[in-house]
Amino acid sequence: MSGSQADVVSAAEAARHALAALEGGTPVALVTVVRAPVDDAVGRRLVVSAEEVRGALGSAELDERAVEYAREALAARSCGTRELELSGGSWTLYVEPQHAVPELLIVGAGHIGQALSRFAALLGFRVTILDDRPEFASHERFPEATRLLVVSYEDPFRDVVVGPDTCVVLVTRGHKYDYDCILQLLSMEAPPAYLGMIGSRRRVRATFEALVRDGVDRERLGPVHAPIGLDIGAETPEEIALAIAAELVAVRRGGSGGRLSERERVLDRVAPARGTEQRGE
Amino acid sequence: MDDREIYAAAVRAAESEQAMAIATVVRVKGSTPRGPGSKMLIGADGRQLGTIGGGCADAEVLEVTGEVIETGVPRLVRVELTDDYLSWSPAVCGGVMEVFVEPLQARRRSPAGS
Repeated sequence: MSGSQADVVSAAEAARHALAALEGGTPVALVTVVRAPVDDAVGRRLVVSAEEVRGALGSAELDERAVEYAREALAARSCGTRELELSGGSWTLYVEPQHAVPELLIVGAGHIGQALSRFAALLGFRVTILDDRPEFASHERFPEATRLLVVSYEDPFRDVVVGPDTCVVLVTRGHKYDYDCILQLLSMEAPPAYLGMIGSRRRVRATFEALVRDGVDRERLGPVHAPIGLDIGAETPEEIALAIAAELVAVRRGGSGGRLSERERVLDRVAPARGTEQRGE
Repeated sequence: MDDREIYAAAVRAAESEQAMAIATVVRVKGSTPRGPGSKMLIGADGRQLGTIGGGCADAEVLEVTGEVIETGVPRLVRVELTDDYLSWSPAVCGGVMEVFVEPLQARRRSPAGS
């Protein structure tokens, strides 16, 4: 058996590295041998970050290629298998990058925020609640939230990092707060992956008009999802939260948000039963 | 069920020295219920956390996990979901998935080697 015991990265140790990455630590890619010319090599693994490589697969050449694949996967953020032929035979490596799970900032701890927090936690977001009222942004109301921040709407994002792994939902109780939040978010270096704002067509329009009047480029408001959510006819706070959650998934996964039955039209491809077609002709 | 919960449970299990296996979909072909990266954690008693693609696909993986935990040797399992529709089998998605099943803690191989 080549490689010392110290080179062996168990699935449990890999899980520790992956978990740290998912919770906002250094992104890592796990490379696991799933098929090898020698059975003994199956299950060997590398844990690769931008800075560091842990573990060993059995040969320097294999390790070198594996690190290359790991770095590619970290950049592309996609997992999958890679086949390679070496002098000893053919190998299959499974490469899986682990980045921080997206964080959802819910600004406004009202009824919609409360329902959305639950949906978002179920969907695997790290949820942060921001409100200026400590009695609203409380653990009793948001048991599933990762963080609760009592903030001033003049500078609500002071203690959070907004970037490509952040989604922001504005469900505050006043359009003045939405206005302040959007102004701040647009002035940041890295925009969030998703920015949505609640409001009727009228309220959204008034907010957009105020922002444009005060010097915000009209084009910069293009990516703002407002009115927020998919069109499912939502009325109650829970239904609205579901429409928002569905839009978050659609943006994350690249879905169109329409009905699958209308897109696929499977029935059109089903031939009628024999004897019923073109009767009488 | 997101990967965080599965990894967190795996870390807890390893800390308390519970024998478990972790199954990961590594490659798929055709229509499958879930894609590469989907995970499931399985205890020695057969209890599972997460799913790699619903009851039928999970069941095929569960068949080998006992052996994987027992021997400490990982397995690559091929799950075919290509049963004929009229069989009324739940495995009619139309695709094939390859699932890597490995023990949480590799059993230390004897110094003599195999």
